[in-house]
Amino acid sequence: MTSDAKRRRALGQILLLAAGLLVLVAISAGSVLLVNKARQDSAWVVHTVEVENQINAVLLELRRAESAARAYLLTRWPEFLTDHEQAVANVVPYADKLAQLTVDNPLQVENVKKMRAAIDIRLDQFRREMDFIKRDEPASAAALVREAAAGNTNAIIRDVTDKMHAEEERLFDLRTANADRSQILASSVTIAGSCIVIALGAIAAFQVRRSTRVRDEAETKLRDLNVTLETSVQERTADLREANDEIQRFAYIVSHDLRSPLVNIMGFTGELEELRGDIFKRIAALSHSASEAAALPQNATDSAEPVLESADKQLSDDFSEALGFIKSSIAKMDRLITAILNLTREGRREFSPDRINTRELIESIAATVAHQAAEANAQIRIEPLPDITSDRLALEQIFSNLIDNALKYLRDGVPGDIAIRGRTKLGFAIFEISDNGRGIDPKDHQRIFELFRRAGTQDKPGQGIGLAHVRALVRRLGGTMSVASELHKGSTFTITLPVNWAAKRKADV
Amino acid sequence: MSNPVTIIMIEDDEGHARLIERNIRRSGVNNEILPFRNGTDAVGYLFGPDGSGIDQKGRALLILLDLNLPDMTGIDILKRVKENKHLKSTPVVVLTTTDDSQEIKRCYEFGCNVYITKPVNYESFANAIRQLGLFFSVIQVPPAAA
Repeated sequence: MTSDAKRRRALGQILLLAAGLLVLVAISAGSVLLVNKARQDSAWVVHTVEVENQINAVLLELRRAESAARAYLLTRWPEFLTDHEQAVANVVPYADKLAQLTVDNPLQVENVKKMRAAIDIRLDQFRREMDFIKRDEPASAAALVREAAAGNTNAIIRDVTDKMHAEEERLFDLRTANADRSQILASSVTIAGSCIVIALGAIAAFQVRRSTRVRDEAETKLRDLNVTLETSVQERTADLREANDEIQRFAYIVSHDLRSPLVNIMGFTGELEELRGDIFKRIAALSHSASEAAALPQNATDSAEPVLESADKQLSDDFSEALGFIKSSIAKMDRLITAILNLTREGRREFSPDRINTRELIESIAATVAHQAAEANAQIRIEPLPDITSDRLALEQIFSNLIDNALKYLRDGVPGDIAIRGRTKLGFAIFEISDNGRGIDPKDHQRIFELFRRAGTQDKPGQGIGLAHVRALVRRLGGTMSVASELHKGSTFTITLPVNWAAKRKADV
Repeated sequence: MSNPVTIIMIEDDEGHARLIERNIRRSGVNNEILPFRNGTDAVGYLFGPDGSGIDQKGRALLILLDLNLPDMTGIDILKRVKENKHLKSTPVVVLTTTDDSQEIKRCYEFGCNVYITKPVNYESFANAIRQLGLFFSVIQVPPAAA
């Protein structure tokens, strides 16, 4: 899977979640709003019903007052009088309340006004009726009742209340419809929102499942890769080891075979040298016998260097010089070949891990170079060192090479100070061999580890093998090696070796 | 010497062979030198067509053996010589370019009498051969008796 697709997928998931959240918020807000509206609508419906009740209550009280008044007129029972008075007392507050309830509707306000006027007239008629009865003029009262019944006050009241009822009916229908609509709207919003949330959830679940599957696949792939990686690392290691062994054999054979012709070259150079002696002896004898007739016969067999004339002497010297160069070159080549042979021999040696008291080992090395150190006016300080498990001979070679080098490349006229320090870190022992010697130019830091390469003033004998050898040994012991140095300030060689080295090399050589 | 020692020189390098011969002569040894340039010829001569070595029975021989031969290793020849009942008392001088201690040890284990490293330094080489001449004069070559 490419990283681009991965990023797109992550973005998609974030967008999906954001959308889900948005929808939820919208649904909640919508629901709250709609529910509020529905409640308001219901409140209005209730209000309408209340208004209707109030109208009925006013009418009822009027009727009660009327019927009680008639009954009182007929029977003169005081109960009917109290009943009438109660009803009359109720009518005005009821009408007031109705006016209050309908104050929002101008049409109803108008109606209520008309009704109040009619009610006032009617109440006045009741008062007069009662007065007549109290003054004991039942005939007048009955006439008034008749008049009232024939009058249009009742009709007006009925008419107004009918109108009001009609208006409230209309409002009731309207408000019920409104309430229904908001409730339907609320529920549909909720349903739609739920659907969307469910859909988003489904998509998210699908995506999560898909990414889980992808992750599982990736995990399996990774595991497989790990397994193959391990095997391929093993294969490569085996290949490398084989290649290394091949190089070792090659180096061994080449250096071995190179020595054969070298023996011939050296041998016949020696022969030539002998021939040279013979030839110049003869030349000397011949020139002698030519110049002096009375040549001494014993001169020819004399083993001493023959006396030669200047031209012949020049020839003889040239001859010697040429032979000298050939011989010194052969000697050098022989040293190099021997060095390679020794290196390959070291490379073929099997290492065996051994518990080593590092301090003791280095003290014994210091003891063997004590004489050289005294001559160079140098001191070797050995600080506490960690013990390690490694190959003893290899360690000896590593440290004695480095201490030798430190002693060899001190600065003239400065007392040498060579320190060997050690510490452990994460299963590795770190050794530092530092000196105050002539130092190494930073540009040569890599070069000095190469075979047959040397750095700095070439005033000391050496083949340029020591450090190459040391590094090869350190690597075979599973360690690393580095140098920190500045010209004229001394050098520090750092060697990192595993504290517990176990020979991992297969016993195949 | 009624039965002079024959020197069998098994050496593939002509130059080396010549140098060895010259130095042997220079040190005053005049015995017959039979040079062989490869292992097969030398083995053919030493052990005969039937490989029994019966032909060499009773002859006084000295073998100069190079270890690096083109067709076989000198060690094989050394082993066969030392395992052959007619040849096992023949002195064998191993001459080789290697100074590998393992190889030297192996040669002595197989019964080589002298091991000489061919030095590149001519002086020491000539010296070694001259000492070989001295060696010829002191060794007890087995009597030709049956």
